[in-house]
Amino acid sequence: MAYTGKKVLETDTFEPRIGVFICHCGTNIAGSLDVVAVKEYAKTLPHVIVSENYAYMCSTPGQNMIHDDIEKYNLTGVVVAACTPRLHEPTFRTATANGGLNPFRFEMANIRDQGSWVHMHDWDGGTSKAKDAVRIAVAKATMLEDLYPMAVPVEHRALVVGAGVAGIQTSMDLTKAGIETYLIEKEPTIGGRMSQLDKTFPTLDCSQCILSPKMAEAGRMPGIKLYTLAEIESVEGYIGNFDVTIRRHARGVLTPNEAAARGIVGGGCTGCGDCAQVCPVVRPNIWEFGMSPRKAIYIQHAQVVPLIYTVDFSACVKCGLCETACGAKKAIDLDMEDELFTIKVGTVILATGYETIPIEEKKEWGYKLYDNVITSLEFERLICASGPTIGHLIRPSDGETPMSVAFVLCAGSRDNTGIGKPYCSRFCCMYSLKHAHQVIEKIPGCKAYIFYMDIRSFGKAYEEFYYRIQHEGAKFIRGRVAQIQELPNKNLNVIAEDTLLGMPVEIEVDLVVLAAAVQPTAETEVVRRLFGVSCSADKWLLEAHPKLDPCGTTTAGVYLAGVCQGPKDIPDTVAQAEGAASAASIPIHAGQVELEPYYAQCVESLCAGCGMCVGLCPYSALSLIINDTGKTVMNVTAAKCKGCGTCGGFCPGGAIKMQHFTSPQILAQIDAFFLGGEL
Amino acid sequence: MASAKAYKDAGLSARLADRYYRPAQDSDPTFVRDVEKISGTVAHICYQCGTCTGSCPSAPRSSYRIRNFMRRVNLGLKEISLTDPDLWLCTTCYTCSDRCPRDLIPTDVIMAMRNMAALRGIVPKNFLGTVNFIYQTGHGVPNSDANRAARVKLGLESEPETTGKYPEYLPAIRKILEAYGTKQLADKVLAEGQ
Amino acid sequence: MSDGNHKFAFFLGCIAPNRYPGVESAAIRTGKKLGIDLVPLKGASCCPAPGAFGSIDLNVWYAMAARNLVLAEQMGTDIALICNGCYKSIWEVNHKLKHNNELRDSVNEVLKEVDMEYKGTINVYHLAELYCNDDVCGLDRLRDSVNTPLTGVKVACHYGCHLLKPRKDREFVGETIGDTEHPTWFEKLVEALGAEAVEYRNKMQCCGAGGGVRGYDIAHALDITNEKLINMTDAGAEAIVDTCPFCQLQFDRGQFEIKDKFGVEWNLPVLHFCEMLGLAQGMTPVELGLDLHQTSCKSFLDKLNTRGWWSKNVPPDSDIDIVGGQ
Repeated sequence: MAYTGKKVLETDTFEPRIGVFICHCGTNIAGSLDVVAVKEYAKTLPHVIVSENYAYMCSTPGQNMIHDDIEKYNLTGVVVAACTPRLHEPTFRTATANGGLNPFRFEMANIRDQGSWVHMHDWDGGTSKAKDAVRIAVAKATMLEDLYPMAVPVEHRALVVGAGVAGIQTSMDLTKAGIETYLIEKEPTIGGRMSQLDKTFPTLDCSQCILSPKMAEAGRMPGIKLYTLAEIESVEGYIGNFDVTIRRHARGVLTPNEAAARGIVGGGCTGCGDCAQVCPVVRPNIWEFGMSPRKAIYIQHAQVVPLIYTVDFSACVKCGLCETACGAKKAIDLDMEDELFTIKVGTVILATGYETIPIEEKKEWGYKLYDNVITSLEFERLICASGPTIGHLIRPSDGETPMSVAFVLCAGSRDNTGIGKPYCSRFCCMYSLKHAHQVIEKIPGCKAYIFYMDIRSFGKAYEEFYYRIQHEGAKFIRGRVAQIQELPNKNLNVIAEDTLLGMPVEIEVDLVVLAAAVQPTAETEVVRRLFGVSCSADKWLLEAHPKLDPCGTTTAGVYLAGVCQGPKDIPDTVAQAEGAASAASIPIHAGQVELEPYYAQCVESLCAGCGMCVGLCPYSALSLIINDTGKTVMNVTAAKCKGCGTCGGFCPGGAIKMQHFTSPQILAQIDAFFLGGEL
Repeated sequence: MASAKAYKDAGLSARLADRYYRPAQDSDPTFVRDVEKISGTVAHICYQCGTCTGSCPSAPRSSYRIRNFMRRVNLGLKEISLTDPDLWLCTTCYTCSDRCPRDLIPTDVIMAMRNMAALRGIVPKNFLGTVNFIYQTGHGVPNSDANRAARVKLGLESEPETTGKYPEYLPAIRKILEAYGTKQLADKVLAEGQ
Repeated sequence: MSDGNHKFAFFLGCIAPNRYPGVESAAIRTGKKLGIDLVPLKGASCCPAPGAFGSIDLNVWYAMAARNLVLAEQMGTDIALICNGCYKSIWEVNHKLKHNNELRDSVNEVLKEVDMEYKGTINVYHLAELYCNDDVCGLDRLRDSVNTPLTGVKVACHYGCHLLKPRKDREFVGETIGDTEHPTWFEKLVEALGAEAVEYRNKMQCCGAGGGVRGYDIAHALDITNEKLINMTDAGAEAIVDTCPFCQLQFDRGQFEIKDKFGVEWNLPVLHFCEMLGLAQGMTPVELGLDLHQTSCKSFLDKLNTRGWWSKNVPPDSDIDIVGGQ
């Protein structure tokens, strides 16, 4: 911030001189309330020296008005009545500083998002509310004080949570930008959803073929500290200085490095698989959606990174056969326990991905009730050459090759019932087109019926892909599937309305594939809370601004990549991952960040040293110290304090001052509202 | 909607009728508002997926398309909706309402349109017959002599503990039917039919 | 499982007392063994028919149902009933009036003219729901009340529509009874009586009679009924069991009409669950008025008879015509 420090003011000795600037925001504000009336009203308020209105206060001429008026009228405070501080507080603070005032002598009145937009059809009411907002802001502006942001150094490391394609890409980018990166994955291998897919639309290249090299590279890049089977345990700190505690779940198997550390020469897991050969315990492989078996010591699939076996301790009977089979490598430790360790990082990227909704709750489609109703992800495994059927699509009831397949789009998406999800899951249309292509290509004579509401083929070369699938002979039926009935031979009657014909349609098929809606993974909510990141009503993680800050969050230093922020396909996921890597590297490369000076301050003369605030602080920012005079008082670690006000609101002696939100400032605002500004 | 042209050949005029839908003259914007008020469901967010028709037991055996009625409501096509005989083919099974992904209750949209049609005297006679039975006996399906005998045989009283046995409850029922004009509507429409 | 006694105002409706009086009789008599004390609601009328009345004017439907509710409020007793159509009128109007003050006021304005006021002080239950409810009866108590199990017969359960749908308006507790796509609670009730319940295609489909369609276009209604009969018999059903006398009328008289109109003959006995429960508790076909059914129940009763049921329940010297059918 270009604060020149030209004018240092003491509120005690100066009569406040406030300038008020009313923004039209084009017609966003001026179209729904009387900005001139608000301007004229502001002139009548105590301490207001000048009041102006302008079409776009955020524009250069608008900012210049602020700058010029500060000098011309020798203002001590600036109020802009416009949009939300989330959007333009930084803009107007800069303008205030450019005018020579301390930037924290700026106060914003939100008369758009909380004014004109919500009272669009109430001219008088909206105008009246805007006057209230201005009066309240002016009251606070008269009491604002000079504040100075604090600069803190930024740790030259980053953390990426989740190692799907988003997490892998963002980690590789960060590392290549010279930033050491911790990559944490809850599964035993990296790769995420993309590694489960067979082919990718619209190019039809093999998902594993393009992802595996990246997985392997991520696994061997020295700058990436990869921890699989690991989860975030706790988080402390703030941008630049996050202390993150990681829980590494006991894997039961040592890597070569870990073996070496234990003094086992030439030991550790080589991924030979001898252990799994002898393991007597069989469990369904969840990675294959239970469609193939695995042992209690296992890898999920052939391309795992790292290629280290994992013991499923919930299934292991500790018979020790694997240890014998492993022999001199001594890689297996059946007594291994979870390990906790803390890392320090400057910025964090969340890439926690998605899962499908429990689509069996849409009972009319009979998933989990009818054998031959499967989900799209199950289809991916069944059509994939490395899958449980070596790429031969079969129907689960009898292993026969289906000669007709129905694809049910919007299965739980665009659904307001509370069982499904109200949003569009965004990639189902395209992968269902791909699935139709795959059955037509792999099974000569197989019919593909696509039941759709709209085909959303909005991406590059996507609409062309839609043409292609039409050419290949897939039948498109515009109608949402109303119900599926299972016939005695386990075939399925798919019933809908062909809405373009206006006729009910009933098609008997061998297999039904539900393009189930997606939702954030269960862990997303846990991780989100640990980092204090907001989510939208649909539980996807909330970006700082949907257009202008799509990778950031409202928690400084925490960024988002991939589907955890909302459904997106692979190109968009990778693009956002690279964006997030770039955004997360900026504070690290800058080396330091400025923290807003909204931290609590202890007025030591009033503090009784009771310490009750210390335990209340959610950020562990408070402690008791003995000051120079030998008195026990509370002390604030400013960098940890988020200015939440918990301590200040509680302090029985009124000894805690919340900077920029002081009791006199807030009381002035309340008085201004209730007393119409007359104090 | 389809308006005949002023050609001298009436047959040609009808066959070549102008079939454009023109909202300015064909759409009654009050229709969707009134339907939503009576039905209590926000019919205008229907996105025409057809789940309703696909769930409908009447659709596969008739020209009745509940999705089509939802469309007409949103376009304000009041006249064609209220005069369409298909309006009375809904069995009110509510399967469409259970499955509607927009969480609407299309069945109640049909009920609202039936209410509006009935106000105009468009209502099948069997519905009004039920009104008259209730007006006279309190029961839509009244007792009969054969049933009275059967009841006695089963050890029941010949009349159930309802208005059947206590006709003194009937005046209140009649007052209610008259207060809403239901009895008057039944009399008027049934008389027209004769 | 409850062993207590629960008193309800028994809302009879129309079709049970006036066409299938055995259902009324069975409900009361079987209830005594289940701790469900049914006291017929004095002065009740038609619920009124949700299809016919709701179609003409929803407001008159609210008011007429409210009058019935007020009778029970005056008794100070919750309502129990045996008909899905009645459930829609009585339960749903009670629910709407409890939650919509504007509607309640407008209804009370009219009720005032007949010296009544709806207060919203009682609840409404379908007997089927009470049989499932462990706090009132529960499956165990139902099973314990059976002295002549209906073993060896295959029964198709017809759930009907208006008890369960629209699901979003109903307030059943728990997953099982609230499921409107693949529920199984009715099958469990039937199996508690010893019979075998068969799953059949499109089980939850409507009987065809509702919404006034039976009166408006009988062929259309019967065509729906006929589809259900096809699906039931395909699954090997030897009888239909229902929870709704109006559905029962559609299946029972409907088979007669289907034969007349379509030339298709089914002869599939149709029983209300209360009637089936009556048989299982040892009531005779005559005590249940099964002879009043238009589709003969003989094939079903014969099936039971081959397993010794007959001699136990009907005295050998009985000259009573249990064949029924017309």
